Amino acid sequence: MRLHEYEAADIFYKEGIAVPRRGVAETTEGALDIADRIGFPVMLKAQVLVGGRGLAGGIKTATTIDELEVFCGELFDSEIKGLPVKKIMVCGKAEVIRELYVGITVDGFNGKPVIIVSTKGGVSIEETARTNPEKIVSFYVEPGADLHPYQARNMLKGLDMSKRLRLGCSVVIERLYKIFKSHEALIAEINPLAVLSNSGVMALDAVLEIDDSAVSRIQYSGTDLIGRIENPLERKGKEIGVTYVDLDGDIGLISSGAGLGMASMDIIGQRMRPANFLETGGGITDKLLYKCMELLMMKEGLRGIFINIYGGINPIHEGAKGVVRYIQEHNVKIPIVAKALGNRQEETWEIFKSGGVHVVTEAATEKAIDRLFELLSK
Amino acid sequence: MSILLDEKTRVIVQGITGKIGSVQTKWMLDYDTNVVGGVTPGKGGTKVEELPVFDSVEDAVQETGANASVFFVPAAFVLDAFYETIDAGIKLIVVVPEHIPVHDAMKMRDYAIQNNVFALGPTTPGILVPGKGKMGIMPASLFAPGRVGIISRSGTLSYEFAGILSEKNVGQSTVVGMGADPVVLSNLSSILQKFEEDDDTDAVIIVGEVGGEQEERAAEFVEKHMTKPVAAYIAGKYSPKDKRMGHAGAIIRGSAGTVEGKRDILRKAGVEILNSPIDAADWAVRHKLR
Repeated sequence: MRLHEYEAADIFYKEGIAVPRRGVAETTEGALDIADRIGFPVMLKAQVLVGGRGLAGGIKTATTIDELEVFCGELFDSEIKGLPVKKIMVCGKAEVIRELYVGITVDGFNGKPVIIVSTKGGVSIEETARTNPEKIVSFYVEPGADLHPYQARNMLKGLDMSKRLRLGCSVVIERLYKIFKSHEALIAEINPLAVLSNSGVMALDAVLEIDDSAVSRIQYSGTDLIGRIENPLERKGKEIGVTYVDLDGDIGLISSGAGLGMASMDIIGQRMRPANFLETGGGITDKLLYKCMELLMMKEGLRGIFINIYGGINPIHEGAKGVVRYIQEHNVKIPIVAKALGNRQEETWEIFKSGGVHVVTEAATEKAIDRLFELLSK
Repeated sequence: MSILLDEKTRVIVQGITGKIGSVQTKWMLDYDTNVVGGVTPGKGGTKVEELPVFDSVEDAVQETGANASVFFVPAAFVLDAFYETIDAGIKLIVVVPEHIPVHDAMKMRDYAIQNNVFALGPTTPGILVPGKGKMGIMPASLFAPGRVGIISRSGTLSYEFAGILSEKNVGQSTVVGMGADPVVLSNLSSILQKFEEDDDTDAVIIVGEVGGEQEERAAEFVEKHMTKPVAAYIAGKYSPKDKRMGHAGAIIRGSAGTVEGKRDILRKAGVEILNSPIDAADWAVRHKLR
């Protein structure tokens, strides 16, 4: 779960990391009140959870009331990379001398938290790694361990920094690591970390992504996992307990695993266009697949459905009952092809057939997609 | 021979009294797996499928001589159960459950490495050796004995590949689910190494997916150390950027972890790239695998 910048900035501030004076507004009047309190010029930052927000026009500087009103009007009316702007963070504009980068993430391959610092801030760390690798240092922390202050100081030795800056920067690293650990983060990032004219450092952006699997056990009041999902279909998916990703095609998909779902999308994509990705994980029941059908049918213009499920941990015969019940209750007419293999497969096929579902019994997903394509070409 | 598991392995099931644990124990026994008992704290002294249930892993090891464990423990208790299992001296652990916090997975991986324990998961379907046994949830009907090794990040896709090969009368030596999370307990290259050393494996299929850098890092191992033919399929060509596709590890960030990037690096290392799962059948025929 990625937090909004204003939420992450509050957490950073509480841990003692300097952030600009700020407030979050849902209307132009609200933004004006905050600007009044902070004083112009102010930054207006759209609170949408997409990368490259600045380049997409989501960040503006207002130097007057008139400018603020114009920019807020534009932002509140707009979508950034498909997401509507509902909140704007209004914050003070700092005198920046230099921009640094500080980030902490999980290195999946080594299985350890890694702290990354660069003297080149304001650009993505991947880009700096390509263009100026000498401006980056990284440091691994042992899993579960705390970061000692000396470790934060020493890791900066190789970078071009004054002693005073090194000290200020190491304190930020220490505090950011505390946040990373206590919030069970996957990413905690400050880019840029600004060096100010008084040699202090200030976080001009705040990124914090919390591990969904740990949300229930961390101390944070704002963890509404479902409410913050913008897309209504994706939100409904989360509510019923599946992963749903909305896409722009017209072939609906239900799969019982993430890898299988992605492979199904790849194969559908060779000739048709998937309307969605849907993955049930190991929780299939009669009711769950009934709700999955309901969710799929909410998408307008759906032409066909492909169900790709395996009976390993899942009782697929139960799932088939839910699908058939939905078809019969709602008189579904579009073609549905199912490939269902594994434990109790024969029973599952019979149930699907009783609801008019076309059953494919070969292992290769291609064969099932061939069948769906044929049915749709008729 | 096979890798990791054979008919002599003495398996316990942790969380054996749970709904999933008890059903899967039956399936494992039906597949002739040498399951010797189970553990659920507080349920010691009862029986599941006529197997003894113990309160602790230590008791189970003492009474049954168990040397491997498969987990059907609720996510919140997995870290504790993992420490307990390693401290009881077990050297092979399969962690089936999903939704294990990543910060827990990092600690588990670290502890397993320190204690020289081989562990798979989290979010793995486990290990299946056709004709010999299985630890985990793989549905037996799709597998057949043979000489192709499969390593998969995804559970369901490992079944798909085994099923496609079995239909063509190409069997499998061992099928290993490595787990689908951002941090897994054993990296891809360490499993490849076991297949390279296994006399009963002639070739290996890697079933990868977008996100992370397991495939990229394994490419180096393949180039330097693998003498057997290796093929790879990478799922997620049409997965949108920055969207988590069900698996916690399957997310494309920036330019890292893309299908194209993984394919290129593997291809340069001498791995044959399969565009689609069904291509595994042709590949097996061309290499005269069985």
